Order: sequence, then structure tokens, then C-alpha cells
Amino acid sequence: MNLTLVFQSMFSGIMMGSVFALLGIGFSLVWGVMKVINISHAAFGLLAAFMSYTLLNVWGIDPILSIAVSVPLLFLAACVIYRFLIAPLTKARDIIVPSMILTFGIAIILENLMLLIWSPDPRLLTTAYTSKVVILGPFYFQYPRIAGFLLACAGVVVIHMFLKKTYTGKAVRAAWQQRDAAQLYGVNLRWISMITFGLAVSSAAAGGVGMALLYSFEPHTHNLWLIYLFLVVIVGGVGSVLGAALAGLTIGIITGLSMAFLPYQWVNLLTFALLMIILIFRPQGLFQSEV
Amino acid sequence: MLVVEDLEVRYQELRALQGVSLRVAEGDLVALIGSNGAGKTTMLNAISGLIPAASGRISWRGNSLVGLSPDRVCMAGVVQVPEGRKLFPKMTVEENLEMGAYLPAARKHLAESRKAVFEIFPLLAEREKQLAGSLSGGEQQMVALARAIMAKPGLLLLDEPSLGLAPVIAAEIFQVIEGLNRKGITALLISQEVLHSLNIAKYGYVLENGKITIHGKAGQLLDDQRIKESYLGL
Ligand SMILES: Nc1ncnc2c1ncn2[C@@H]1O[C@H](COP(=O)(O)OP(=O)(O)OP(=O)(O)O)[C@@H](O)[C@H]1O
Ligand SMILES: [Mg+2]
Repeated sequence: MNLTLVFQSMFSGIMMGSVFALLGIGFSLVWGVMKVINISHAAFGLLAAFMSYTLLNVWGIDPILSIAVSVPLLFLAACVIYRFLIAPLTKARDIIVPSMILTFGIAIILENLMLLIWSPDPRLLTTAYTSKVVILGPFYFQYPRIAGFLLACAGVVVIHMFLKKTYTGKAVRAAWQQRDAAQLYGVNLRWISMITFGLAVSSAAAGGVGMALLYSFEPHTHNLWLIYLFLVVIVGGVGSVLGAALAGLTIGIITGLSMAFLPYQWVNLLTFALLMIILIFRPQGLFQSEV
Repeated sequence: MLVVEDLEVRYQELRALQGVSLRVAEGDLVALIGSNGAGKTTMLNAISGLIPAASGRISWRGNSLVGLSPDRVCMAGVVQVPEGRKLFPKMTVEENLEMGAYLPAARKHLAESRKAVFEIFPLLAEREKQLAGSLSGGEQQMVALARAIMAKPGLLLLDEPSLGLAPVIAAEIFQVIEGLNRKGITALLISQEVLHSLNIAKYGYVLENGKITIHGKAGQLLDDQRIKESYLGL
């Protein structure tokens, strides 16, 4: 086996995986904190990717910069959706299934909206640096992957700091760990849930742009991304930021290595076989949840 | 003053509270006693807004608490130390205390409240960076009380704060509660330790099957034959 190739594909895997992590963290958080499985999470990410595409091709705005537009927009949209669609559901005792049905509907609406606006053609975010690489010794790193990696690292750090250092972030964790006590000490559950949902969708927006830097996309692509989201939660445990980050990296490395050494059709097979093994032996995820 | 009048609470068919009335005057410590399943926790949770009242009135310092969400009740200065402590297990002691002072009014006094809390419970200063879930039962109860103190309560609702603790620690907890009351915090105390709680309380109420059956000055209750038989085992 060629050692350079092993390391090269591990590095690529880490870069991909970091973006999976960013895309998956919000999904995991909303699941853990709000008991909502947001099937439309990846669709919001994809919408942000399309926004970047238009901003890039119409105004020449770099995809990383375009996040400054898509993130606040999707944050607001998410708050509105929470207020008018998800909050009414929370009166029910167990909202996992109803929330899945509702957000599945939202995903379909978003998908058709994207079909309408951007047509079903596959797109690429082609920037001036798309084909540029950095060469370090025997290894090479593509610019878009570096950009995606840095974006993902920044996103994960921001979310982590928010949860650990800010009062609102602590309230999110408190509400998840001990719902009643959080309320007894002044936490307004609806407000905290709205913030959580808004932030999760915002992080999906950043993650979606990261994904678009790595892969081509079209209006159905979110269905594929959704599978990665479930992977991140299954490997990382529900509701854990650190778990999601590590899970993203793990999945990235496995995918990277298997893409380098296995015939293409085996890649997904291996990934899902590993997944089933994890589900059988550690159904709570590989990493302890700690939010 | 806390005023509860004709309070009814139902869990589906079950009438957990059947027209309960009770008063806690400003500055008093009142004990609420009753056997398992009598409805004591239900009463506190109805006051705190965690469960809805089917009918009846609840007010604190003249303002009705009926229909308020728990965070609003906390904002009104009514703070509960819940049964089983209900700490935030994966947060540090320090973070648990911060969550006690979550509301802006309490947060303004965060630094002084912390100092006050560590004076009462010096042990907690050493445990500050530890996860609350990793503490012993007695330490956890201290954190639960400390968290409530951080909220700067006008009225403290205490649900079995000494349950499952070693006698020495239980005695310490009772002492702290008495001390807080002396400093002017009004308190409604639920406890299975009838003798102990009536000793520090001014008034007492006995709740049985969702109804108040006996009430009066704490001293009188200690002499009451029915209480001696049913609750003090004399
Ligand atoms: N969530 C609930 N759903 C249905 N019934 C409940 C619920 N909580 C309490 N009950 C019932 O209501 C009655 C009063 O319960 P409550 O917890 O208030 O009693 P308690 O006096 O606090 O008892 P304990 O000393 O055991 O804590 C009991 O019969 C209990 O089984
Ligand atoms: Mg109880």
C-alpha cells in the first residue's frame, strides 16, 4: 500500500468530514434539545448553496462571503417557521414523529422552490481558485477544500463557544438536561427553542455552502446530504457538538480512505456496514454526549 | 403573602388536589406535611406553573400566578427547589449557580450572590469546576439550595430538601433553610421529617389525599394527638 496515498486520502477525508460535521451539528442539536428530527435541515443547507451560486455568478461574490447573506436570512426564516409551524406541535407529548412529517413537508416545498428557481441542472461553485492547489511535500490540497475546512472549523468553534460561554447557550444546554428545572429558573422554553432552531438552520446554511465547495449539487441533493446527517448523529450521539464534530471527521476519513482504495460502488456499502456495526454495539453513539 | 384558595388540580381522572387553601404570610416559614401521594409536589408545581390549575386562585404579593408559565413565576420571585434536586447534571457547579441567576434581575447580583452562597456552603467553592452530576447526594442538595439562593427569591418553595440525606447533612440543610428565613425569605417547606420541619416552622398544614385536614401554629400541631400518631409515630 502506498503510504503517501493513505495520508493524502486521510487529509481529504478530514476536510470532507469537517464539512459533514458542520452540516450535522445543528441537526443533532435540534434532535437532542427539541426532540425534533428536522428532515428539512439539509434542504436549508442546499438553499444556501444555491444562494451562493447566484451571488457568485451574478455579482461575483465569493461563496464564503455570501454566507453573510444566507445565514441571517435563513436564521430569520427558521425563527418564523419555528414560531408558526413547529411551536404549535410542541403541545403534544411526543413530537418526534409529527415533527418529522412536518419537516419532510418543508423539505419538499424547499426542493420544489429550488427546482422552480434554479432548474434541475447540476451546479458547481466555480471560483477563481477552484482548480488551485497548495503543495506541501508529497501532498496537495485543493483550495476549495481548504476553504470548506476552515469554514467548518470556524462554524464548529462558534457553536461550541456559544453553548459554553454565553448565557443563552447555557440555557440551551440547561433546557436539554433538565427541562423542568430550566423553566423553574426563568428559561423561556419557546424562546430558547426558537434560538436553537434558528442557529441550527444557520449552521446548516454554512455547512451547505461548505458542501457546495466540495461537490456538485442540484435541487434533490439534500436527500443524499440527509443520509450524512443521520450518519453524524448515529456515530456522534444525539445532541452533542463534540460528538458531531468527531463523527463528521470519522465518517470523512472512512469515506476518504475507501474512495482511494475501493471500487466506487463499495464505498457506500462499507460506510453503511460500519454504521450498522456501530448501531449494534454502541447504539448511543461512539462518543459520549456532553452538551 | 402567598394565598392559595380552593385549588383543584387533576391528572386526567385523578383529582390530585381537591380544593386546597393555604396562606404563607410575608417572612414566615410554613411547613406542609403529608404522606406519600398526598399531593404535596402537585401543589408546588401548580404554584410554579409547571402544571395547570383546574380551578382556584393562587397569588403572591397580590399578583395572580394562575396561568403564568414557570419562567414568569420565577420572574415574580417565587422560586422552587424541586423534589429530587433536578440539577443540570452535565454542567459544572459554577454553571448550575449561574443558571440560578439566569433572569436579568438576579444576574445583576451574580458576584455578590456567589459570595453569599459560598459563605453558606464553603464546600461548594471547592467543587465549583466539578460536574453537578458527579457530586454526592448531600452536595447536590447544597447546589440545589445554592442555585435557588442565586435566583434572589422572595418566596422559596422547598420540596423534600432532606430526602435521602444522612442525618448530619439533613440537619445542616434545615439550619440553612432556617437561616434564609431569618434573613427575610418567605418559605413553604415540604418535608417528611415532620418533627424537624415543625420545629423551625411557624405554621403547619397537613395534606391528606388532596385535602388539607389539619392546620395551625407549629407548636400546636406538635401537640396534636392525630399528628403524634400518624406522623411522629408516638
Ligand atoms: N404526572 C402525573 N400523572 C398522573 N398522576 C400523577 C402525576 N404526578 C402525580 N400523580 C399522582 O397524584 C397524586 C399526588 O402526587 P404528588 O407527587 O403530588 O404527591 P406527594 O405528596 O408529592 O408524594 P411524595 O411524598 O411521594 O412525593 C399521587 O396519587 C400521584 O400518583
Ligand atoms: Mg412529592
